[in-house]
Amino acid sequence: MYWGGNPAECHPRHFTKYALMPKSKFLPRGRKDRTMVLVDIRETKSVNASDIFLQVRPGKDFELITILRALLKEQHVGDAQIAETGLTRDVLVDLLERMKVAKFGAIFFGMGLSMTRGKHMNSAALLTLAAELNAFTKFVAMPMRGHGNVTGADVIMRWQTGYPFGISFNRGYSRYNPGEFSTVDVLVRGDTDCAFIIGADPGATMPQPAIDHLRRIPTIVLDPHVTHTSRLAKVHITTAPAGIAAPGTAYRMDEIPLPLRPAIDSPYPSDEQVIRRIRALIDQKPDWMSKSPQRVLSQV
Amino acid sequence: MIKLTLKRQPTVPLEAEVLSPDVLCNMPHADICAATIYHGKRQCRLDEFFDVDGQGSPDLELHGDLSKVRWIGRSASRGTIKIHGNVGMHLGAYMSGGTIEVHGDASDWIGAEMRGGLIRVHGDAGGQVGAGYRGSLKGMRGGTIVIDGTAGLEVGLRMRRGTIVVGGVARDFAGLQMKGGTICLLGGAEIRTGAWMNRGTIISLKPLQLMPTFNRAASYNPTFINVYSKYLATLGVVLPYDPSQGEFVRYTGDTAVPGRGEIFVWQPHPS
Amino acid sequence: MLRIRGGKVFDPANGINGEIRDICIDGDRIVADVNGGKDIDATGMIVFPGGVDVHTHVAGGAINFARAMTPEDHRRTQAFMRSQSRRSGLGGMAPTTFATGYLYAGMGFTTVNEAAVPVLSARHTHEELNDVPIVDKSCLVLMANNEIMMNLMEAGDFERAKHVVAWYLNAAKAYGIKAVNPGGVAAWKWGKDAKELSSPIAGFNSLTPGDIIQQLSRIVDELKLPHPLHLHCNNLGAPGNISTTLETMKHLEGNRVHMAHLQYHAYGGDGWDTMCSESAQLAEYFNAHPHMTCDAGAVLFGDTVTITADGPWQHLLYKLTGRKWGNLDVENETGCGIVPYTYKPSNLVNAVQWAVGLELLLLINDPWRVFLTTDHPNGACFWRYPEIIQLLMSAEFRNECMAKLPAKIKSRITLPEINREYTLYEIATIISAGPARALGHRQKGNLGVGKDADVVIYNEDHDIARMFGHPRYVIKAGEIVIDDGDIRETPQGREFMVQPAFDPATEEFLQPLFEDCYTMSFENYPVELERIENPEVQECGKVSSDLEQS
Repeated sequence: MYWGGNPAECHPRHFTKYALMPKSKFLPRGRKDRTMVLVDIRETKSVNASDIFLQVRPGKDFELITILRALLKEQHVGDAQIAETGLTRDVLVDLLERMKVAKFGAIFFGMGLSMTRGKHMNSAALLTLAAELNAFTKFVAMPMRGHGNVTGADVIMRWQTGYPFGISFNRGYSRYNPGEFSTVDVLVRGDTDCAFIIGADPGATMPQPAIDHLRRIPTIVLDPHVTHTSRLAKVHITTAPAGIAAPGTAYRMDEIPLPLRPAIDSPYPSDEQVIRRIRALIDQKPDWMSKSPQRVLSQV
Repeated sequence: MIKLTLKRQPTVPLEAEVLSPDVLCNMPHADICAATIYHGKRQCRLDEFFDVDGQGSPDLELHGDLSKVRWIGRSASRGTIKIHGNVGMHLGAYMSGGTIEVHGDASDWIGAEMRGGLIRVHGDAGGQVGAGYRGSLKGMRGGTIVIDGTAGLEVGLRMRRGTIVVGGVARDFAGLQMKGGTICLLGGAEIRTGAWMNRGTIISLKPLQLMPTFNRAASYNPTFINVYSKYLATLGVVLPYDPSQGEFVRYTGDTAVPGRGEIFVWQPHPS
Repeated sequence: MLRIRGGKVFDPANGINGEIRDICIDGDRIVADVNGGKDIDATGMIVFPGGVDVHTHVAGGAINFARAMTPEDHRRTQAFMRSQSRRSGLGGMAPTTFATGYLYAGMGFTTVNEAAVPVLSARHTHEELNDVPIVDKSCLVLMANNEIMMNLMEAGDFERAKHVVAWYLNAAKAYGIKAVNPGGVAAWKWGKDAKELSSPIAGFNSLTPGDIIQQLSRIVDELKLPHPLHLHCNNLGAPGNISTTLETMKHLEGNRVHMAHLQYHAYGGDGWDTMCSESAQLAEYFNAHPHMTCDAGAVLFGDTVTITADGPWQHLLYKLTGRKWGNLDVENETGCGIVPYTYKPSNLVNAVQWAVGLELLLLINDPWRVFLTTDHPNGACFWRYPEIIQLLMSAEFRNECMAKLPAKIKSRITLPEINREYTLYEIATIISAGPARALGHRQKGNLGVGKDADVVIYNEDHDIARMFGHPRYVIKAGEIVIDDGDIRETPQGREFMVQPAFDPATEEFLQPLFEDCYTMSFENYPVELERIENPEVQECGKVSSDLEQS
């Protein structure tokens, strides 16, 4: 089941390599042994690959998932309420029946769900639905992440700091609060006096106040290309593209690590090399931190 | 009384959890001036940013645009804090007693996970009023928050007890995953009010667009609202409704949980 | 060079029981004598070999998922501040990697064994282990629910299965083999479990959990791995599971085996309301069968997060608690469930669990065969080991704690009848010398000449938990890393692994199967040795007779 995503165009290998086509011991006929449901607000190219397409009214995903949760628990939901999502009771009853009798269900959700009104709560709704379906059969849910090594950043931040994103080190240890410490909020409020950007282009995607702030403060960009952000930055350092000319590890959306082996040489240093050199230079500067031994304290 | 006036705008957020009656009430003037606050990652003295007047009192008065000053009144258990100007995030978070009054606007996470006391904001508030921090199963567990103006997302997220009053419009997800307590929405709310609520009460004086998983149960004028109204009157908050002019429609839900929360929506008699 | 002068030395590997003697260190080894160098006056102090944790979960996909699930715990826990030379970190139920190293070293542990690694994400585990400072590390790879292995075992192709295991060990850069709920995790992908040792597993015709453990333990023995099969039995945590556990042990007679977190497998009764301790029965069998070692998997009251490859159990626990639940499926190999949990003394089931862990440690009479663990973070966090040591060393303290439990508990446990108190010598055995020997680490848990200079020095203290929680000095590889509570140095530890030989044709056999059922290409699967900091390959076959030494 894909919800709020268009894998046919955005994750082209997902059907063929992971979720729909592969043949296996228990699904010997591959695609024919699977049922694919697509939920989205509009018809995309992924519709062609689906067995069932459910067109939900824009901004009604959270309501629809919540209705499904209620119906799963055999609670009463009015027809008029269901109709507001753009779907009918018959369709939802049929969908739930298919979900309950499936041998193994998987829900993949995209940014059409997680980046629209309701944001993290839309994702939470789908994850909760998947968890609750385990009372009937095996069900899992997983986000379809954006391009680049987003998952890798999450995974490493988690083992080093305990939190996946939205982290502040101001007080000498990691603190977490998305909305307070996440990049876009920090920039929009103007809470930072320097920005160091690696392999991302906020200048192309973030709201205008954030872009204005990046222009005001010293912004340093590490990127293989000159990006929108480079143009408003004080410093741009060209680096070798990871996975093409620089080695490393990338984490797939399911948090499986894959080694990156460079195919070509680059005259530019890798991100890692640049950061190590900056770090070495910073180490030579007088320290602003106290040199007292490690202190253990109660958190703020 | 201790009077603190912001004398210089911080360039990045200032974290000042020392601005709490519990910390300052027994300090001589010199210690208050030297109290530690954090300007970004740098540790500095309170008097680098504030003019300090007075000492040794559980009553604080703060002046200036404090919208970049965070954690004021954190874990406060007594005394008063009066703020003349806007104030930054986490005002009165984890507080268990005392009073905080803001003559201006407040930001996100006011009274987050508080257990007691009163927070009064005369302007607008940000999101997550009286909420539980991310991952935490418990929001506000007692006390009262009154906001005269509007409030942002997720008012009363996972709250267990206590009262929140919002004078203006609240944004989405007011009372999200509530497990107890009361939220009064005098100016109504945007969408998804009471989503996934388990128990607790939401009262709205304006029409609400409810979740599809709430069912209409009855319409009447419950007596407890009079009791609330009298309690709120002691705080100077008027619940502007007149039982002769209409009645409340009671909805229950959220059936997705399934929960036994209730939402009362005021419906005036047709004139 | 370093001389630790005049301490009371407990070194069970060499039979030294509280003698006053000097320990000399040159470089990273213990030597007979040194001339000059630094001197630590340990008069009146107690000297132990560095602690060894035989079974813990500190790195990899599962614990990392648990970290993401518990921000509320990170916020209330101990924080480690950054400094010029050290990274910041957070302690708590699922500590961050840097904090894990600081916390282990901080209580005198210098070697840890991460007990559950899927081959598919071994690369991730090693990246995390690289970020765990100070301690030496090793990891065990999960084999008992691997579909390729299960097919081979069902077909009775033992020789090939053995070579495939050897190949997997090489690919994962692992130190040994772990079996978790054999067949049960695979069955969980069908929403089912495997509770009976002799019933076929869901998705297979004839293969039973019993076949899996017998074949795997034989494979481990024939490959002469330093550590025996590390087994998490079927039917974990369920009332009445003692029969499964005894059945498992009978299946394994004649082979070496390490039984993990035995506490979770020693229950009687036929439901939650009748659950009781069967540790006496289990200990009796265990005492009579010297081919086995075990660790306690003891439970302490308080908040923790449970993490196990035992997916079906975790779903049950989620339904019981109604709190958070995370589930991971790792393609053909294994899976994992994560549920935050609070053990409460007022809860009869939890109280029984608490008692069973201690009973096993007290009733198994050979300290060389039972080791102190909490199956971190499942029973309790590893940094609470000193509390368990106090419970073991003081019957009086045990009785005080028992008095706080519900009265109904008395008829369900045997703990009130046990008067045994551990001696320091026995404690040194169960936290260091014993687990080191069971892991086949000849250089560890031993203060003899030529061994690794991992030494802990405690202030003698009547408060046992304080004494073991706050060593005066901790020395790792000859370096003083902890001095009176301060983290002085954070050296990078070593990582142990085995690389048993395998038939080169194994790859030709595996590759097509692999391309059939994995989503990763075959070349990307093995972890390169260069990706591991300070790797140390241990030879197979050298230490197989270690158990007999005891």
